[in-house]
Amino acid sequence: MKKLIILILLLTGATGLSQNEVLFEEASKAYNEGDYELAIENYEHILDSGLHSASLYFNLGNAYYKLNKIAPSIYYYEKALLLDPNDREIRNNLSYAQQMTIDDIQPIPQTTLSRITSRVMNIMTYDQWAYTSIFFMILFVSLYLAFYFFRFADKKRLAFIGSMVCLILTAVSVTLAALQYQDYNETRPAIIFARETSVKEEPNNRSITLFSLHEGSKVYVEETLEEWNKIRLADGKNGWIPTSDLRTLKDF
Amino acid sequence: MKKQIAHVAFLLLFLFGSAVGFSQDEVEVEFEANLSKEKLGLNERLRIEFTMNKDGDNFTPPDFEGFRVLMGPSQSISQSWVNGVKSYSKTYSYTLAPTQRGSFTIKQATIVIGGETYKTTPKQVEVTAAVDKPSDQMTAEVSKLRPYLNEAVSVVYKLYVSPSINVSNFRPLDNPTYNNFWSQDIPVTSYSVKNGTYEGKSYRYVILKRVVLYPQKSGPLEIEPLSLDITLDVPTNRRDFFGQPIYTQTNKTVSAGKRTIEVKPLPSQGQPSDFSGAVGSFRFQVTTSKNTLKATESLQAVVEVEGKGNLKLFQLPALEMPGSLEVYEPEYNENVRTTLSGMQGKVSNNYTVVPSFKGKYPIPSISFTYFDPEDETYKTLSSEEINIEVTSGPLESSGGNISIASSNKRPVQSTGSQFHFIKLTPDLRANSETPFFGSLNYYLFFLSPLLLIPLAIVFGKKREAIASDVAGRKIKRANKLARKYLFKARKALGEKEEFYIAMEKALHNYLKAKLKIETSEFSKEKISDIFVKKQVDEDTIDGFMALLKNCEMARYSPFSQVQMQQDYDKASEVINSLDKQL
Repeated sequence: MKKLIILILLLTGATGLSQNEVLFEEASKAYNEGDYELAIENYEHILDSGLHSASLYFNLGNAYYKLNKIAPSIYYYEKALLLDPNDREIRNNLSYAQQMTIDDIQPIPQTTLSRITSRVMNIMTYDQWAYTSIFFMILFVSLYLAFYFFRFADKKRLAFIGSMVCLILTAVSVTLAALQYQDYNETRPAIIFARETSVKEEPNNRSITLFSLHEGSKVYVEETLEEWNKIRLADGKNGWIPTSDLRTLKDF
Repeated sequence: MKKQIAHVAFLLLFLFGSAVGFSQDEVEVEFEANLSKEKLGLNERLRIEFTMNKDGDNFTPPDFEGFRVLMGPSQSISQSWVNGVKSYSKTYSYTLAPTQRGSFTIKQATIVIGGETYKTTPKQVEVTAAVDKPSDQMTAEVSKLRPYLNEAVSVVYKLYVSPSINVSNFRPLDNPTYNNFWSQDIPVTSYSVKNGTYEGKSYRYVILKRVVLYPQKSGPLEIEPLSLDITLDVPTNRRDFFGQPIYTQTNKTVSAGKRTIEVKPLPSQGQPSDFSGAVGSFRFQVTTSKNTLKATESLQAVVEVEGKGNLKLFQLPALEMPGSLEVYEPEYNENVRTTLSGMQGKVSNNYTVVPSFKGKYPIPSISFTYFDPEDETYKTLSSEEINIEVTSGPLESSGGNISIASSNKRPVQSTGSQFHFIKLTPDLRANSETPFFGSLNYYLFFLSPLLLIPLAIVFGKKREAIASDVAGRKIKRANKLARKYLFKARKALGEKEEFYIAMEKALHNYLKAKLKIETSEFSKEKISDIFVKKQVDEDTIDGFMALLKNCEMARYSPFSQVQMQQDYDKASEVINSLDKQL
């Protein structure tokens, strides 16, 4: 019975995929012909069906860039980067889109240690790190058993060293996966969609305006109170803005 | 009148001249200066008297700095005897007109009386702005008495002169300071005389001064009067040889009346937040010199306001540029003419922009708000959005230099100079995927290999133990063989007939399997011979033969349960030892 359900799911999934692939192809064709609105419509149709991918978000970002829509363009590039943090093409086009923004936010300089950690951590997503950790674990176990069963001292030594290295690598990848998972769950990046929004000192309209932000700037949501979000910028400034002025990236 | 007093005094002097010398030494000498007032307006006059109670010589008046002597010195002497007491006084008096505003000191006057020099004490006089003494010769015409804040108001000063009088010269005594106004003087280059009427009479008039004022504060504001010292040619009653009246010159101070303007504040209702104080009527536009260019070329973006109003008194809205563009401080240009109706022309901010990298840079529209005093509403104008396209990026080698040059901007890491095309493989997957990390599956996959270690070790240990235990292995092996051939016999254990038939069959089966010979029809001797040939030892052969014998005997004689068990054990032992030797 179970097998049957899985089979049905797979089949429907396959038909759904093929439909969406047709849509994707049509959208790509429309993009190439310069009909960016149609391309966007098709891509978003795919999104509505509950599927996504880094390529899909990247293409949406490209289409919006061509239409000079700063905020959605950056929004989709950032989403693509969440799924595939190491794609050079996405990074490249994102930097193009970021050139259109008005705000110039200087990030706070990081310490060397945290910079190195984050760089190593961002080589892979936490799921990829999880698979890596399993791989190293299996390698460790097999090498350890090899060490246990080998008769000759040379081979034994080699297998032991190998197994210990694998054990360390396993621990490292699990730690990185955990760190990144935590990092991913704790930060809530968002993109400003309002053309111009004033950042308030308190979550109400009576309080004074601290500074203003423009379309396309990236902020991190820290707290939420009713219709207001407390945001932090990369340069450490913070304040409250209405929820309607931004869109969070991790809404899938 | 004064002259009359002087005459009387002289007369008295003559009459009682002889008596003067009498009691001169009896009274203390007094010499002092008296002012008619200590504070006066610029258009008023001051009388100063130097009085002494004994006659003296060499009277020297002070130089009246800041004043002009209109009349004087005039002398008067009075002398009287009252009940034998003689009193004497001599006065020098001057009439002065102030020439400028400020605080002045009338210095000491000196006189020599009886060989000694006497001095008066210095006096302080304060000259203020012209007091409001409306004179009908000069008017200040104000274009609007109830203007809005920052709305232009013009003031024109006109001097009216009767046709019979000539003005030969004038000099402003006091230029009004227009407090709380931004003022711009429109210089009068030529004083042309025009005809006009003033209060029903015909006059000639001259425009002396024109000022445009922009009130900077709401509420009642005063415009200080302008005071002029004019030199007039006035006709006298005498006539010259040709019958023309003879003119004499006189000076006169005229001042225009003080005016109060009620300045209305701009309505606070409906005031846009970006209102920067512009009042008037304007046009607004933002233009760029080009829309497509190469990186490191420059372009000009101009924010321009054109029209009529307080052009110099507000700030132009700032242009919002993408942060990645290099934008220099704007250059402010103004081309404004001031007329009686206010300032006209245009002001602009000229931005120089240098893009460093290839890409698109949209300049969002900005808005400019002003107040229109005629419609009494706020109006907002918006510029159009401009898109700047930078077609080619910097060369790879010069890329580094550029990012150094624009160090105040965010360095944009363009890995290549091209904008990448869309991706063509969808790689779609469900977007509701739960993360693998942290799921139960992950922990199972991650930890299960660890379980392999103890399992493998235990398994390995067991195998080793079996390998090292030889006797145990033999037993095990025997059991195995016995199980294979004697299982039927074992089943029938207890049933005498069946047990022995099964046992005999098992023994023959074993031989058949081992030696590939069907032995069931052979005699015992023949089997024994085969064993001998195969070099099987005596004991085993005997055991085997004994078992076969037992099997035959069992058919005819009773066998106990215990014997059956013994035979079974024996059989397995024999088979086992045979197996080793064959």
